[in-house]
Order: sequence, then structure tokens, then C-alpha cells
Amino acid sequence: MNDMSQVPVTVLTGFLGAGKTTLLNRILTEQHGQKYAVIVNEFGEQGIDNDLVVDADEEVFEMNNGCICCTVRGDLIRILGGLMKRADKLDAIIVETTGLADPAPVAQTFFVDQDVSDRTKLDAIVTVADAVHLSSQLGEHHEAEEQIAFADVVLLNKIDLVDDKAVENVQTRIRKINPYAKIIKTNHCSAPLTEVLGLNAFSLDRVLEVEPDFLESDHDHEHDDDVTSLSFVSDTPLDMDKFQAWFGNLLQEKGQDILRSKGILNFEGRDDRYVFQGVHMLMDASPMGPWPAGKDRSSRVVFIGRNLESMNLEEGFEGCKVA
Amino acid sequence: MSDREKFLKEKISSLVPKETELESRGEHFDFHAPVTCSVTTSHSIAVGFGDGKVRFFFEGEKPSTIDAHNGVVLSIATNGEYIFTGGDDGRFLKLSQNGDIVEIANFNSRWVDSVAAYKDIMVCSSGRNVYIWSGDQKKAKSLEHSSTVGGLAFDHTGKRLAVSSYGGVTVWERGERRWTSKRLVWKGSHSKVGFSPDGKYIVTSMQESELHGWRLRDKVDLAMRGYPAKIKSFAWVGDTPHLATSGDHQAICWPFDGKDGPLGREPVCVADCGKQISTFIEPLTGEKAIFVGFNDGSVLLSELDENKNPFVIRNPKGSDISAIAISPNRSHILIGDSDGNILWSTLWKNN
Repeated sequence: MNDMSQVPVTVLTGFLGAGKTTLLNRILTEQHGQKYAVIVNEFGEQGIDNDLVVDADEEVFEMNNGCICCTVRGDLIRILGGLMKRADKLDAIIVETTGLADPAPVAQTFFVDQDVSDRTKLDAIVTVADAVHLSSQLGEHHEAEEQIAFADVVLLNKIDLVDDKAVENVQTRIRKINPYAKIIKTNHCSAPLTEVLGLNAFSLDRVLEVEPDFLESDHDHEHDDDVTSLSFVSDTPLDMDKFQAWFGNLLQEKGQDILRSKGILNFEGRDDRYVFQGVHMLMDASPMGPWPAGKDRSSRVVFIGRNLESMNLEEGFEGCKVA
Repeated sequence: MSDREKFLKEKISSLVPKETELESRGEHFDFHAPVTCSVTTSHSIAVGFGDGKVRFFFEGEKPSTIDAHNGVVLSIATNGEYIFTGGDDGRFLKLSQNGDIVEIANFNSRWVDSVAAYKDIMVCSSGRNVYIWSGDQKKAKSLEHSSTVGGLAFDHTGKRLAVSSYGGVTVWERGERRWTSKRLVWKGSHSKVGFSPDGKYIVTSMQESELHGWRLRDKVDLAMRGYPAKIKSFAWVGDTPHLATSGDHQAICWPFDGKDGPLGREPVCVADCGKQISTFIEPLTGEKAIFVGFNDGSVLLSELDENKNPFVIRNPKGSDISAIAISPNRSHILIGDSDGNILWSTLWKNN
């Protein structure tokens, strides 16, 4: 697969009124000389200033492959396929989702559909969050949590409308759900576009940079279905067979609750770093070159999801260590 | 030239494939926009491109060009005389072979994904709706479906219209006064759809790199699986007939003769091309043979017989074959790829 020929796709999520259209219009007006296609949904706000706007229906369908949570966006497969037949080359594609959309089917489309992944690549999921309303939205809507959980970048917008303490609180809340998303605080979505586009966040080599910003977790006031994250580190090498058995089984059985997973693995007897990342049950994994000489080899895994406490993740991970 | 250089030159030229006979006698065009679709009318072959142009190829003449859409020509159909096209500019057009364009409908930012035509009936789909114009009617009849339409096909009588979408196919039947429907159910996303030539079966290609079929008499399901890639093209071949399909390293041809069609039977596999994946199938009209296009741009001609060797018609050029069409009286062949290359040639040596 030739990476150069893959058109990057940025997914914009966020609740209605958070500022998605503001960001979209900034991208379209400030990036001169770039050719973008924008895929919008039928409930989207009006006034997108671009000559290539495509209406989509956000049609999610379940793959007929026995994997119950493997849903994909059929309309994206159709539209991305059509856009790839254009005579003029696109620099990027931006998919705007409705406020209540679950980002998983979008991400899964890039894992599952061969034509889509041959010609396009998921660049990043960018979630625009409203500093005023995010806290209450997180309490009320699963979708808000999922949009934060899936984000590579969270644009925390409208911070001029709240005081510093409130900004701090909402940031803590975001961190708890997703410790490795980059949080950018803005007014009017005025973030530098280089921090929003061209991030290559879904490429496996970016997983090597995973340095989650962990908080001391306190579990006192969490609901069972709150989205949280857990991470584990091991300096002891892992047994490849044991890890594959545990992890495969985990995704098979608990994949519905595990929204995202990422990791760098140090397997006994292997010189290469093994890297993986997953969305629900789907996973991409590959050796990514040898460990840097003279540096510690440690395995790191991160899970974001619901009911993580009930999955005995720590025990399972510990059990993969070489005895 | 030193012996070493001579040796190297010979070696290199042995690596470069020689032109096929068809390539050396045919005309080559580079239109700089992907070939997206093609159809054979009563007089010509019409080809749609990724820059909105439609070109007509008449036997023994230079191709003519029409600026049809402001974007990709997504779909094409003919009733024999006129061409009907759908585009990503949201327009459904009727084109005549002398270059006249009539806009039948405009759905703006909603694409016209599929089109079909039979005599004086013209049909297109945009989103979940299928629009049908019959005779001189100005206003279309609209048929709504539960999800976006993947494909459209008339049967050989023009009385039934198959519409694929998520979860199966809706078969519409034209009565005296209205269209009635029945639903064929199979989980998953169905795209291209077609009736068997005798109208007894319906087949769809699916998202999951497999085909699904139904025997219409009793709605018996036929699952045709085992493909390494999506099936972008299928066609009915021969009188028997066989359903020849792309999506593998060769053409997979399922037998549809007898009472049960392919149920419990093995397909005939022809035109093996090693590691390449087939992307387009076109029957050699009137023969039990097919042209098979591959993702590297090569095209093979093969009889539906596993014991016969295929012929190389076009050498690999790098991009996948997206159109093969035979001219109305079988004198010419057109081969198009996703880079915009077209090979237009007499089919047989002596004409």
C-alpha cells in the first residue's frame, strides 16, 4: 500500500453548538490552495463555505461477519469510493458527524473496508467540546463520553465564558475519560490548524508516542457505565502466546465495552517493538522496528471503555509476563 | 556496446512485456480522468469519466466528447437509443448520441448513485429514494426504501425492478396502475444487483466480499463466498448460464443451470492471473468466453473451461481495469482503467 496515495480523513465530532461549523469554516477559508471535500450530515448547520460538500445520512450497518459490535458507516464507504473517482486530487476529506453520533462506526469503517483503507486513511478524530456545557452533557449522554473517549484532539472551546476553576474541572473530567487526547483550550475554535489537521493519529507508529497523562484515579463517585481509562506498564518481558490468548479473548468477549486500546509490547525473545491499536473488537498490530539501543524495554497498554474494573485487566496483563 | 551492456539490454527487454496484438493494432487514449462506467448502446459504446465527461466510441470513428456532469459520472445505463447518467453533482441526465443533454432531475448535494432504463422507463436512485419516469410523465414516481440504495436492475421483461440496499433487495413489480413490492432479506450491505437472464434469480454483491442470491420462486438463499476482495463486477455468460464474477485471482463462474443453480456445486475458475485481483468481467457476446480485467491493468480472454489457457489481451499498465465493453456488432472492444487510459481496437484481426 502506497501511503502517499492515501487521502487523509479528519473526523469532526462534538455536540450541536459546540463550534464544529466554526472550526470547519476556519479550515476551509484559511488553508489556501488546498482542495477539500466536506461530508456533512442532514442535521448539520448551514453555511459551509466550500464547493465540494456532500450530504450523508450517517447510515450505520452491522457487518455480517458474526462480530456483534462491528458496525460501519455504509454511507462513508459509498461516498469515499465516489470521491476517489474524481479527476482532481483531494488534499483532505473532512467528515462532520451529528452531535449525537458514536464515532466508533466511523473509525471501524477504516479498519474493515479494504477499498476505503487502500485509498484513504483516518487522520484523526477531533472533538469540539463546549467548556460551558460539556460537564452536564457528559452526565446525560453516552455519545458525549464516546466522543471524548475516541478523540485524538479535544478542542475545549468557549473558555472565555467560564472561569479558570471551571476550565480546570472540565479538563480533569476529559483526562479521566481519555488520558492521551491532546486538549487545546480555545475561544471561537482559534487553534492552530496544524494541531488539528495532518496528525496521522491512527498510524501505528504514533502509538509509540503514547505517553498518557494519568491522574490519580478515585473511583468513589463513578457510575458503572462511565467511560474511564486504565493503563499498565511492565518492565518484565511478556510471553507472546499468553498475551495473544488473553488479549484476543478479551476483545472477543468485552470488545463492546472497550472503546479504544493501544499498546507497545516487549515480547520475550523478540528484538522488535510490537505495537497495536484497537477500536472495540477490531485491531491493527504490527512489529515497528527494534527497540532503541540502550533504552529500557517496557510494555505499556492503555484501555478506554466502560466497566473496565470488571474485566480483571491488571490480573490478565500480569499473567502475560514471562514467569 | 560492450558484451555486458548487450547482455543487460537483452535481459531488460525480456522483462518488459511485448505488446499484445490487440495493443499494437488498437488506438490508445489517455483522458487523464478515471474511467468510471461504460455501456453499449445500439450504435456505440458510451464511457463515463471522473471529470464529468461522457465519450461515445463509434466503430471506425474518432470518439466524441460531451461535458455532462460537474463531477464524477457515477452511473450509466441505456435503453438502446439514449444514455442515462447519474453524477456526484446530483444530476440525472439523458444524453443523445449526437451530444444533446437533457437534465431530468437535480438533487444538488445528494448524489445520483445508480441509474437504469428500459424502453421508455428511466430510473435513478438518490439516497433512499428511487425515482421512476414512465413515458412522457414529467413528474417522477418516488419509491422510498429504508436505507440508501446500492444498485438498480430491470429484469429482461422490464416489468420488475430490483433495488438493493442494507439488509436485502426490494423487488418492485409494475402492475396496471401501481408498483407493488416484495422484500428479499439478507443481513449486510448489498450494492450491485442483477437478475439472471431468465429472471429466475437475483444476485447482489456485498460489502463482505461475497455474493448473495435468491431463487425468486421460493426465496431460497444462495451464498457465494470465499473471495479475497470485494466483487466489483459480475456478468451472465453463455446460454447455460454461468455467473462470472470478479474479486479473486481469477474469474469465479457459478453455474445457474438446472433446478437448483449453484446450490451445493463448485464454480468454474478461469483466467488465473497469479497475485492480481480481478476487477471487471465482460462476456464475449454470443460465446462461452469472458474478458477478465485485473487490478494491475491486465486483461485476459478465457473460455469457461478450466482446461483451456487464457490469452493476454492487454498487458499490465499499473491501474485497475474499470471498463470493458464490446461494440454493438461485435467488431470492436474498449478497455478502460482508473488512470484514464483507453484501448480501443478492432476485436478480430481482419476487420
